[in-house]
Amino acid sequence: MKRSMSALIGVMLLGTGLVACGGDDSATTTDTPSTEVATSEAPTTDAPSTDAPATEGVLNVPADYATIQEAVDAAVEGDLILIAPGTYNEAVQVTTNNIIIRGIDRNTVILDGNFELDNGIRVVGANGVALENMTAMNYTKNGFFWTGVTGFRGDYLTAWRNGDYGVYVFDSVGGVIDNSYGAGSPDAGVYVGQCYPCDTLITNFTAEYNGLGYSGTNSGGNMVIVNSIFRNNRAGVVPNSGSYELCYPERKTTIIGNLVYDNNQPDTPAIDVAILAMGNGILNAGGVQNIIERNRVWNHNKTGIGLVPFLEEDASDVMPEKSAWEMTCEESKNLMPVQPDGALLWDSQDNTVRGNVLEDNRRADIAVGSAGSDLWTLGNCFEGNTFTTSAPLDLETLAPCGTPLSKDTGDWTAGDLNVIMWLVDAETAPPSVDWKTATLPDMPMFDSMPDAATAPGVPASATPPTIDLDAITVPDKID
Amino acid sequence: MTRRTKSLLFAGSLFLFSSCASDLQDGETNDHSAMPVDAASVMGQPDQPITGPQGRVGQFVVECPYSHALSDDPIVYPGDSGASHLHAFFGNVTANADSTLESLLDKGTTCEQTLDTASYWAPALLENGQLITPEKSIAYYRAGLGVDPESVVAFPAGLLMIAGDPLATEAQPTSVVAWSCGSAGMRDALPPSCPTDRGLRLDVTFPDCWDGKNLDVVGHRTHMYYSSKGQCPSSHPVPVPQLIFAVAYPVHGDASQLRLASGSLLTGHADFVNSWDQEKLEDEVKLCIGRDIVCGVTSGRTSG
Repeated sequence: MKRSMSALIGVMLLGTGLVACGGDDSATTTDTPSTEVATSEAPTTDAPSTDAPATEGVLNVPADYATIQEAVDAAVEGDLILIAPGTYNEAVQVTTNNIIIRGIDRNTVILDGNFELDNGIRVVGANGVALENMTAMNYTKNGFFWTGVTGFRGDYLTAWRNGDYGVYVFDSVGGVIDNSYGAGSPDAGVYVGQCYPCDTLITNFTAEYNGLGYSGTNSGGNMVIVNSIFRNNRAGVVPNSGSYELCYPERKTTIIGNLVYDNNQPDTPAIDVAILAMGNGILNAGGVQNIIERNRVWNHNKTGIGLVPFLEEDASDVMPEKSAWEMTCEESKNLMPVQPDGALLWDSQDNTVRGNVLEDNRRADIAVGSAGSDLWTLGNCFEGNTFTTSAPLDLETLAPCGTPLSKDTGDWTAGDLNVIMWLVDAETAPPSVDWKTATLPDMPMFDSMPDAATAPGVPASATPPTIDLDAITVPDKID
Repeated sequence: MTRRTKSLLFAGSLFLFSSCASDLQDGETNDHSAMPVDAASVMGQPDQPITGPQGRVGQFVVECPYSHALSDDPIVYPGDSGASHLHAFFGNVTANADSTLESLLDKGTTCEQTLDTASYWAPALLENGQLITPEKSIAYYRAGLGVDPESVVAFPAGLLMIAGDPLATEAQPTSVVAWSCGSAGMRDALPPSCPTDRGLRLDVTFPDCWDGKNLDVVGHRTHMYYSSKGQCPSSHPVPVPQLIFAVAYPVHGDASQLRLASGSLLTGHADFVNSWDQEKLEDEVKLCIGRDIVCGVTSGRTSG
């Protein structure tokens, strides 16, 4: 939905009054707002009435405030910052709880870092902040970034060609990322890390042409990734454990009903891990107790769904005992690290791979591997998948769900996965391409948030929406 | 968007640091060897090194690929090009013996954070007298151990600091200068033999208490001190970020035959000039350290 010129004029006339409603003090600007940043494309209709109470607590950019940051600085809890179409060369910092920052049109409200600014919008310890309906591109770090918060929401966001992540959620709990898109980052299109329980939902996300589609280091606990698309990345969905950040291991992530395909893309920017993980659809790298169900996964050079160890040469702490896996992230932060003697091998353990539909994954459709552990001791199970190849061979017979595994269920070595070779493969894999210059397809035009100009602002809840996971079926191919 | 303009105005009201430094030296020679440093006695040292996983305390991190090498030292030999041992520079691409705060501000930087136009440098690591080109530096900015994060303020514009002892003949405290492989928590006084997948790193921890008055002093040391038990001494009452500066080298295996340009492998040290975009630095200190929020961790890239 395009922003209307009459609406723009309406709010310009209202300018001072709106400042008085939403603003607090001298930080607000009374400069005549510039309309230069607005696009000229402007159909008519839906001008808000000048005395409508719905505009109370609405701060318009650039009509009331020349920049997004000025509006954010003036906002109080509950305020809605409404951004008109235009290009904004800003790195916005948010420290006020419970505000909503919304573009009027997802495709034409563009935050552009010009390869110099760090984050499009960074929410630093402010709870309940919602970011909606806009594009962030060309930032040296992240498009949209929440850190240290309880309660967050990202909706109708486009992150395009950013230097670390598209959408980045760190050390934060209780949120949802919905209807959003991330492309062109060397790390992940969307990331949630260092939280347990995360209480976070990712749904209707599309990640493509990144190093990783999804990455989640040491996240989990009601961490749900559903109804999303991960394609044309180096690797698709890659939760992992590691002591280089806190709250290990990665655990209890639920990955259901996603389309995961063609993640062999050789010409993306890529962190080292993405090069190592290249050619895998869903790659569980040292994660435990995850549930991977009813996804459709096809066309990968290595595995469709692979459960593999994460080798951490550079470990900062010893691995927690299994009995400590239920400890919350906040509790475990207080434990003092112990320098390990050598590298850590985070095995994938106790994961469930069930009811997925896989084809044309050249090494194996479904796979489990280790680098020294006996596979039957790891507790991973496979059941009801539609597949052709597995590693080791006949994996669903070897590792059924619901019964204790043993070395006697069959030959665990026939056709087993040599993950150590992946380290060798990485040496000759296509190297990372500079994120600033990597080729991307034309940016898709996305549907905007409905009624963006008029819908009331609602701060982010710390309780993500409830999803009926049982109702999700294997999605059909879309290409 | 007035950041740059404001910074320039701010800078204009300050001393240029090289003239400030030489004024303070008051005719003393610039002979480095004439100023032996017992760093611990004049600056204290951290109670213990900070190691372990990132993400426990508020921080921001800046990674800066290698910029250039010069036999210049803008702090110790200002204006005296070629007078120093060889240094590897990171961050500001213009840093040399003639650098001043004004000359460094708003210049290019190798840092991923483009508003970090500070200059960081360390002695060149040499193999058979030849420079080993470092991969990058990583600057961690945090509150000192136990220091109230809310009390930490940004370095003043133009602050000069040196940490570690370029004249050391014995092992330095590893809480100040340490070698490791990759980012692991090991802290050795001499370079360990690093495996193929983790390069050698030099970690230097700068002092985190400022005297509140001087951007530099004779000897370049006594305006700074290390906090202890979470407190800055009354002589240096202003808590500033604890800068841990790491240099990553593409060095694997036996490193015992390498040298630092300053002397033996025991002479690890590093220098810092605060020529950040001051407003950005103040924002980062306030938002990330002050609020105890992790604003970033090191990237997964092994090189810039």
